[in-house]
Amino acid sequence: MRKGIFDGLKVCDFMWAAAGPITTKQLSDNGATVVKVESVKHPDSIRLGGPFIDNKPGINRSGFFADFHSSKLGMAVDMSHADRLEIIRPLVEWADVVAESFRPGIMQKWGLGYEDLRKMNPNIIMLSSSLHGADGPWAKHPGYGAQGAALAGIQHMTGWPDRPPATPKGAYSDSVSPRYALAALMAALIHREKTGQGQHVELAQIEATVQLVAPQLLELQLTGHETQRSGNRKSGAIQHGVYPCSGEERWIVIECETEAQWQALCAVLDAGDRLVQARHAGQDALDKALSDITAPHDAFALSRKLQDAGVPAAVAYKGSDLLDDPILEAREHFWPLHHEEMGTLKYNGPAYRFEKTPTTLRSASPRLGEHSEQVMRDILGFSTGEIEAFRARGLLS
Amino acid sequence: MSDGKAALAGMRVIEISSLSGAVCGRALADLGAEVIKLEPEGGEPARRDLPLVPVEGGEESAAWIVYNLGKASVTADLSTDAGLATFRSLARSADIVVTDFNRMDIDKMDQLAALAFAENPAVVWTEILPFGRGHRFERLPATDTTLQALGGHLYQNGDVDRPPVRIGLPVGLLQAGAEASNAALMAYYHALRTSEGQRVDISVQECVTWTLLNTTMAWQILELNELRGGAIRKERANQFFTRLVWPCQDGYVVFGPVGGGGGSARVKSYDALLRWMAEDGITDDILTSRDWNGDGQFFIPQEDYDAVTEVIKGFIEAKTLAELTTRAVEERILMAPINSLGDILENPQHAARDYFRLLQDPARGLSVKLPTNWVHMSETPVAPPRPAPTPGGQTAKYLNEKTETESAT
Repeated sequence: MRKGIFDGLKVCDFMWAAAGPITTKQLSDNGATVVKVESVKHPDSIRLGGPFIDNKPGINRSGFFADFHSSKLGMAVDMSHADRLEIIRPLVEWADVVAESFRPGIMQKWGLGYEDLRKMNPNIIMLSSSLHGADGPWAKHPGYGAQGAALAGIQHMTGWPDRPPATPKGAYSDSVSPRYALAALMAALIHREKTGQGQHVELAQIEATVQLVAPQLLELQLTGHETQRSGNRKSGAIQHGVYPCSGEERWIVIECETEAQWQALCAVLDAGDRLVQARHAGQDALDKALSDITAPHDAFALSRKLQDAGVPAAVAYKGSDLLDDPILEAREHFWPLHHEEMGTLKYNGPAYRFEKTPTTLRSASPRLGEHSEQVMRDILGFSTGEIEAFRARGLLS
Repeated sequence: MSDGKAALAGMRVIEISSLSGAVCGRALADLGAEVIKLEPEGGEPARRDLPLVPVEGGEESAAWIVYNLGKASVTADLSTDAGLATFRSLARSADIVVTDFNRMDIDKMDQLAALAFAENPAVVWTEILPFGRGHRFERLPATDTTLQALGGHLYQNGDVDRPPVRIGLPVGLLQAGAEASNAALMAYYHALRTSEGQRVDISVQECVTWTLLNTTMAWQILELNELRGGAIRKERANQFFTRLVWPCQDGYVVFGPVGGGGGSARVKSYDALLRWMAEDGITDDILTSRDWNGDGQFFIPQEDYDAVTEVIKGFIEAKTLAELTTRAVEERILMAPINSLGDILENPQHAARDYFRLLQDPARGLSVKLPTNWVHMSETPVAPPRPAPTPGGQTAKYLNEKTETESAT
């Protein structure tokens, strides 16, 4: 089998929650040796976020945590111990990249700020990701991606105009910032490859996410018009909406941007007169007519018919639909991986494919401290006696 | 310290795009690559994407201006031999080519990719497609909204008594563009070390699926299909509905006071909230009737949750956004205002971090602030924004380069 792009790359990974681990997952799934360092006393908080296997909370039972930690090694260190650097320093000396997503100030408190790291390893690349950024008046204000989505304008753009803003699924900014963080980290790795120079790469989840509303921010400044959430309306479309189908919570998206698509829609639904009349009466009437017409249909069959006729249409997939989706299956999106406590689960693979250097999800997420001994012995070269001594002093789980 | 050199200095990118390819190219340009757009005579269609904004001499797409800062433009008709010759000549010196499905179909991509690899085996060919490559669905028609649906995100947004709603932005295409930037750079990193180029494809559907975070695990583990909930939803696979959007005097905040996991930050946040409520004389017993963020936090009975949040809701409703935000930042309460677009422009945190930079674009008559400083790199900082190109603005420059190369060989 071909090696991954990052075969040989060494990463000391202090990332936690979602955005950070999703970023370093791209490194581990592409061949890097990623050692996730967790604090014994304060493990990654999403280990405590569901869904839990058998619906029983437990430190090694979270599917939420699992999905972001394929192919990684896990070690658990008492980061509050005064002698923590006896373990962490050699790890930093070994690493090409140190990645962290703590509240600004935590790494410095541990003696692991960028200047400290540089003394240990002059060419190190440090990646720091936080919600608000490393400085500024809000730097230490806590929050997750839900707060990020609110601050970055995603929530403002989601929902019905006559209702409070709806909450977009997921900690939305956690899904945006890994893409930008990885681009910047890659740029730093490329720069180091060419010049030998490391650096500190620091970014804020919210700043990455505001990139998505940058056009609206330009429009507001030039015209004074502030775009508002508008349900499923879309400027410029002849028709654009989400309509009920038969069955429980079954919905279909239909979108007509061109007259040809509109004609095809009328033909497939065999309701030309009614739809033309409704179109003249306005978008509300059109949505109502379409809802009446689609309601008895099977969403999957109707969406196939419309697609075949050249009309953009799709079933609004539920979670279960994703796991049954023939497209994702053909794409080999899901990777079944076995975990000692959780059994075999399908992990999400990446959104990209490399023709010549395939991505491989090599192992399930690590249990807390699962690879502590392996890392200490095989990577850092400590003897069994030394490892036992660390354990006896309470440094290592 | 930094000598101001960009991280991707010396990298050349050819971009043949609509929206998503442009987002990719913009990230690469910000990081220092020389990005050359190949456009048809008069400019690519995306220059007219809505919303349009007034510029010197007419109107232009806001998204186009924003996502094409700092690039060059060469016009070439890729349906002609002359246009293809221009492409080949640029591909010879390119490190990355990026394109997307709204700009060209798969057959055209294959034609250009073959030409690029023939000229330059080390090039990274990057293509953004609705469902990626290499299977029988690769030509299925799609739009951003159908992809928000097929990625599983749309189903989970909105109020339960109405149809699901999309995020009112082309988030699938935008996220895929950002993803393409990092995937292209990963492949370039490989090419840099091995001289081996390759094709990289990005699936918009998979990008959307990656915005869900725990949905596919929730189904596998609990057979739970998470449902949309508007302001109130089952957060993090909770078994009960939690309120996430809270009205206040002059707007809304996002807040998760109790239940659902959040670690010590949520415990401290709740303690800080109770101190503040006590200052206002609100000390209802229910607030401390159980350890709301301790054991059992995932299994709070709905009626208990509703009872405690009723008290908290009353407290928040009486406050202004400014009061809530100030106190939340001071006391580390897990609360944030739901910002309007105008609020984003005024956010003091952005100002303190020099996030917005001034774009001076005299040709368009623009002097505006844009959120371009999205990453702080200690040795290779992001350059200040430079205007987006006019159609074919740099054609002469690059055609001369082509002529010089040909005469040299």
